[in-house]
Amino acid sequence: MTSPTDPPEGNWWDEKVNRRESMWLGIAGLWSLGIFGWMSGYTQFGDQNPIGETYAVDSADYQETVQEYKDEADETEEGHLIPPGDDVYVGGLRFSWDGLPVVLEANREYDIHLGSYDVQHGFSVRPEETLSKQINLQVFPDTEWIIPMTFEEPGTYHVICNEFCGQGHNSMHGKFMVEE
Amino acid sequence: MERITSLFDNDYGEDGFRTCSVTGLNVHRSVENHVKLFGLTAVIALVVGGSFAFTVAMTRWELIGLIPESDYYRHLSMHAWNVLIFWMVFMEIAILYVGGPMVLGRKLPLTKVAKAGYLLMLTGAVGINWTIWTISGAEVEPLLTAYVPLNVPPEFYGFAIVFLLGATVAALPFFVSLWLEKRGSSGETLPLVAFGAFITSIIAVQAILGGIAAFSYAFVWSAGFIESVNAGLYRQLYWIVGHGTQQINLAAMVTVWYMLTHVVGGAKVVSEKVSRSAFVLYLFFINLGAAHHLMVDPGLSVGWRIFNTSYAFYGAAFASMIHAFAIPAGLEAGRRQRGQGGGLFGWLTSAPWKNPVFSSTVFSVILFGFLGGITGVLMGQMQINMTWHNTFATVGHFHATVVLGTTLSFMGLVFFVINTMFRRDYISGTLASLVPYFYASTMGIATLVMMYIGILYGVPRRTSSVVRNIPGTEFSLSAAAPLFTIFGVMAALAVVGGVLFVVVAVGSLLFGRRLDGDDDGGMLPNGGVRADGGEPVHAVELRGTFALCLLFMATFVTMYALNWFLLTQLWQIGA
Repeated sequence: MTSPTDPPEGNWWDEKVNRRESMWLGIAGLWSLGIFGWMSGYTQFGDQNPIGETYAVDSADYQETVQEYKDEADETEEGHLIPPGDDVYVGGLRFSWDGLPVVLEANREYDIHLGSYDVQHGFSVRPEETLSKQINLQVFPDTEWIIPMTFEEPGTYHVICNEFCGQGHNSMHGKFMVEE
Repeated sequence: MERITSLFDNDYGEDGFRTCSVTGLNVHRSVENHVKLFGLTAVIALVVGGSFAFTVAMTRWELIGLIPESDYYRHLSMHAWNVLIFWMVFMEIAILYVGGPMVLGRKLPLTKVAKAGYLLMLTGAVGINWTIWTISGAEVEPLLTAYVPLNVPPEFYGFAIVFLLGATVAALPFFVSLWLEKRGSSGETLPLVAFGAFITSIIAVQAILGGIAAFSYAFVWSAGFIESVNAGLYRQLYWIVGHGTQQINLAAMVTVWYMLTHVVGGAKVVSEKVSRSAFVLYLFFINLGAAHHLMVDPGLSVGWRIFNTSYAFYGAAFASMIHAFAIPAGLEAGRRQRGQGGGLFGWLTSAPWKNPVFSSTVFSVILFGFLGGITGVLMGQMQINMTWHNTFATVGHFHATVVLGTTLSFMGLVFFVINTMFRRDYISGTLASLVPYFYASTMGIATLVMMYIGILYGVPRRTSSVVRNIPGTEFSLSAAAPLFTIFGVMAALAVVGGVLFVVVAVGSLLFGRRLDGDDDGGMLPNGGVRADGGEPVHAVELRGTFALCLLFMATFVTMYALNWFLLTQLWQIGA
C-alpha cells in the first residue's frame, strides 16, 4: 500500500492507473488543448484582441506628439476634441488623461494611441450605461501602443485609471463621447 | 517565559530522536525546533498582515471609508507584504524542513546556515515593514509590486533583496538533506511528500532568482546608479517572483494536501506515476505561466504571450487538474479500502469533519479548485484578460488561491503541528472545529463578491474610492455599492474568523493540555494511519471522485462560456 510519507515499494512506475483516473486525464487534457485552440483561433476570427503595434518613444516626445495632435484637432463648444483623422492620442499623467474628452463617430475605426508621461497607468474603459462592458489595458512611459477600436454603440465611455500611480490616482478620469 | 521555552521541548531519546505518535515518523529535535521557529514567525506575520486586512477591507467598503487616501496605500502595502510574502515564505521554509529531513527521518544538517537564513529573512521582513510604515510622500508606497518608475526608495528594494537571499540560504539545509539521503541510499525513491517539497524548492529558486534580478534592477535605478529604467522589463522580471512566489504556495499547498489527507483522513496515493508526473509538469511550466500578468502589456508579441499562457500555463493547469482528481481519489480509495465508504459519497460523509486539520484541508482543496483555479485559467486567456486585468475580480482570484487555498491549508497545518510537534491539545475542541467552517464560508462569500464586483461592474483594484465618488466628476461606479455591503460584512466576519484561529492556536500553545506519550489527541482516522486491506488501489471504484470532478468540469465550462460571452458583447478592439 502506498502512503505519501513512505518511499513507494517495487516498480511503482509500471503500476496500473485506475480506470477513472485515466478517463479524467483524457478529459482534462482535451479541455486544455481546446481552450488553447480557442484562444489562438480568436486572434484570427475574433473582434476583441489586445493586439496592436508598439513603438519605443521617449515620454517627452510622446507628450509633444499629443500636443501637436491637439493643436490640429477641432473643438466642440464644450471644449471636447474632434480628431482631425483616424488617429486618437491619449496620454496618461498623474492624475488625468491628456487628449480626453474626445468626440468620436460610431462605427468608424480609430487608431487609439496610448502612452504615459510619467509612471505606469491603467487604461480602463466602459460605457456609462453598462458597467459590465469594460476593458483594461496597461499604459507604459516611453512606449506608444496603437490599438484600433470601433465603437458601435453611441454614448459616453468613461476612462478611469486602474494601475496605482500615486495619491490622487482615484481622481484620474476621462471620456470618449461616441456620436452617430 | 518558561511557557515559551517549553514550546521547544519534547521527550527525545538520547540520540535526539522521537517517534511521532500520529505519523509514525522518526523526528529529530533539530528539525522539529527549526520548523517551530519558522512556523511561529509565519503566524506573527499573519497576525500583522491580517490586522491590515481589516483596515483595507473597511476602506474599500466606502460606506465605512475607514482610512483616508493619504494612508490607504500604506495599509494596503503592509497587508500585501505580510500575508502574501512573509506568512507564506516563512511557512514554506518550515514545510521544506518537514518534507525533507523530517519525512526522511534525518537530522537537519547545517543548522547554523538555517539560523543565518532565518536572521536574514527576519531582517528583510522587518526592514520592509519599517520602510513601508515610515516613508512619506505622494507616490512612494510600493504596494506589492513596487512598479518602476514610481518613486520607491532604494532601501525598500534593498530589504526585499535581503529577504530573498535569506530564503535561499534557509533552503540550503533542505537541499543538503536530500543530497545526503540520495548519496547514502541504494537508489530508493523519495516519498511523494519529499518529492513534492523538492519540486517546490526548485520552483522557489527560479522565483527567487527572478526576484533578485528585478529588485536589483530597480535598486540601482532608485539609488541613482543608472539614469533610466524600463517599466516593461521590470514587469517581466518582477512577475517571475511576483507570481513565482504564488507558485511556491501552490506546490507547497498541494504537498500539504497529500500529507494531511493521508494522516488525518487515511488517504492513499492512487498512482505514484501520475501524481509525480504532475509535479514534474509544474517544474517545467508553472513559472512560465506567470506571463499572464503581461497579457495586456504593450510591446510583447502575440506569439510570446500565447506560448507562455497556453502551452506553458496549461501544462501547469493540466497538472493541477491531475492533483484535483488524485487528492480526493486518494481519500476515496483509502477510505473504501478500510470499509468506510458506502454509496457514492459515503467515504466523504463518514470522514472526520470535526477535526480542524481535515476540514481546513478539504475546504482548501474545494475552494482553491472551484474559485481560484477556474478563474486563474479564465483570466489567463489573452482576450478575457482585458476584462479582468487590474479589476477587483483579480483581487478575488488571488484571495481564492492564496487565502481560501493556501492560507486555509496552512491553518490546517498549524493545527496539525500544535498537536503533533508542540504536543498540545486545543484549548477548546469546539472552537477549533468551528474555525475552518467559519473562516472558509465568510471568506468564500467575500471572495465571490469581489469577483462579481470586478467583472460585472468594472471596479478597479488598488484604490481607496471610485464606487461612491470619483473626485472631480459626476460619474461613479455606484451601481456596485450594494454588493460592497455584502463584501464588507463578510470580510469583517472573515477577520473575526482569523482572530479566532489565532486565539485557538496561540492559546493552545500557551495553555493547552500537554499530550503525553502515545496520545494522538484524536488526530488519527479510524483504523490508524496505516490500515491495510481491501482490493488494490487501481481496482477501487473511484466513482465519487469522478462525479465530483465532472461537476468541477461542468462549472469550468460554464464559467468559460459566460466570460467569453461577456467579451463578445464589447466593441471592436485590436488589430
